[in-house]
Amino acid sequence: MAKILMKGNEAIAEAAIRAGCRFFFGYPITPQTEVPEYMAARMPEIGGCFLQAESEVAAINMVYGAAGTGVRVMTSSSSPGVSLKQEGISYIAGAELPCVIINVMRGGPGLGGIQASQGDYFQSTRGGGHGDYRCIVYAPASVQEVVDLMGVAFDAADQYRCPAMIVADGIIGQMMEPVELPEPYEYKVDTEKKPWAATGWKPGDKKERAVINSLYIEVDELHELNTRLQARYREIEKNEVRYEVYGDEDAELVVCAYGTVARICKAAIDELRDKGLKVKLIRPITLWPFPVDCVKAAAEAPEVKAVLTVELNAGQMLEDVKLAVNGAKPVEFLGNPGSKMPTVEEICEKLLAMSKGEE
Amino acid sequence: MKKVFVFVGNFGSGKTELALNTAFRAAQKGRTELIDLDMVNTYFRLSERKELIESKGIRLISPNYVCTNVETLSLPAEVSSAFDQDWDTVVFDVGGDPVGATALGRFHDDFMKLPEGSLQVLLVVNVRRPLSSTPERIMKLIDETVRNARLNITGLINNTNLAGETGADELQDGYTVLREVSDRTGIPVVCTSGLRLPLEAFMETSPEARYVGETLAIDTFLHRDWNSFIHHGL
Repeated sequence: MAKILMKGNEAIAEAAIRAGCRFFFGYPITPQTEVPEYMAARMPEIGGCFLQAESEVAAINMVYGAAGTGVRVMTSSSSPGVSLKQEGISYIAGAELPCVIINVMRGGPGLGGIQASQGDYFQSTRGGGHGDYRCIVYAPASVQEVVDLMGVAFDAADQYRCPAMIVADGIIGQMMEPVELPEPYEYKVDTEKKPWAATGWKPGDKKERAVINSLYIEVDELHELNTRLQARYREIEKNEVRYEVYGDEDAELVVCAYGTVARICKAAIDELRDKGLKVKLIRPITLWPFPVDCVKAAAEAPEVKAVLTVELNAGQMLEDVKLAVNGAKPVEFLGNPGSKMPTVEEICEKLLAMSKGEE
Repeated sequence: MKKVFVFVGNFGSGKTELALNTAFRAAQKGRTELIDLDMVNTYFRLSERKELIESKGIRLISPNYVCTNVETLSLPAEVSSAFDQDWDTVVFDVGGDPVGATALGRFHDDFMKLPEGSLQVLLVVNVRRPLSSTPERIMKLIDETVRNARLNITGLINNTNLAGETGADELQDGYTVLREVSDRTGIPVVCTSGLRLPLEAFMETSPEARYVGETLAIDTFLHRDWNSFIHHGL
């Protein structure tokens, strides 16, 4: 299929449809509003359901309901709206249901601004809602990667019966890039594979009822649910880690960055190579599970002097990087809370200073 | 006679780049006004190039609160100067999609009073954009745009592109699709535009002149692609 020119938000919507998503519930908020806008135009064409809910809280609970029937369902929002969805996300995790949640991140806290940000790393990877749950969190760095990760996210959500999140910063949502779309995939609920799905009882069906629930009054029953969830999360940590390594293998400095910030770091690494400084980038594609082993091994390499984390926030992934490095090398941070994007020049300057051993 | 160009079309069709190129050319010959009538999109808009535009002696009219991250734009009274004052050329850069074209409806009476032959309403088409990829989708776009703008489309522009990855194939596919749209609607293709190299490569394929119109090699001024964005900012 020929490449087409798509805005990130449109690509999110079209890629979801092509991954078999036929149910979308959302509410407008900049900078992700083109996702519901595109869904509103496309879903009727393919017999799907687009519904603009009365609020983010309503939208995520519609996702909860649809997910209970085993279909592929998605919602999207931006940071303040995703905060509103947290209760529903916790319920979906507790009810062991698959869904995909998009967060096109903008600056916070509060209403914040409408420009790009990565301020929701903690919210996405620690679970902004209550209880011991996790979402698989993907962080694309280009419009093409948004498209490529969409099918992966729906498949993983189905496989592990948990919410999968795609967190893209506002730049990815708003910018246009040429993309190649996958062939459309028609998803059919298979009750053999999803025996838990509440698809409606018909004569001849088994007597057992499919009950969608996250309430476990008995301590032992709640313990059993949590044990099952934690076992599943360990499986995810083992199987689903994704990352990209860029730059020189024998680098003296390691940079950790994700999303569009990682693309800016790549430009800085290219510039520094011309100046004789070798730097390696580790770009987590899954923020949870975090690529612990990769970051640890990179930091422990004898030729590596230090690690730099670059983020468009006050230093959130920084904690995961420090946990992975575990004191093996100094870990420094460059970034800004809010939406002031670090520049290629700032990153180069910081890395050159680190190479010279300056603070 | 005053020439008035109104650029309409989908998001990502290239309206803003064409409006800038048209205004810059016009400014070399006469008094030019450029009107940012995009009431829809917060990002990637004409008014971000205010200094450049004004350095060429062009008067720029922007919505109130533009480029301040305030999303409740409003139309300034100065838009009327397009009709009331004595310009050689006025260029309207309209917001994307039929929704964006709604802002034109407000000026219906003013447009109708322009002398015959003064007004050109040009639909900029990029068939590499999903919602204008087929003749059917483009004709639906025309219907809805005309209804909202309360203006008929007088010409089609083939500006098919993939940003930095554009080749002759893009313009060729745009040519094929717009030929059918033109035959079915009777609206002429008045212009084929693009970066110089792909445009020259396309013209070497000897396309039929009446489905090409004028050829316009454009420069790009908005940093939409990743490389120009990280090196020059927005």
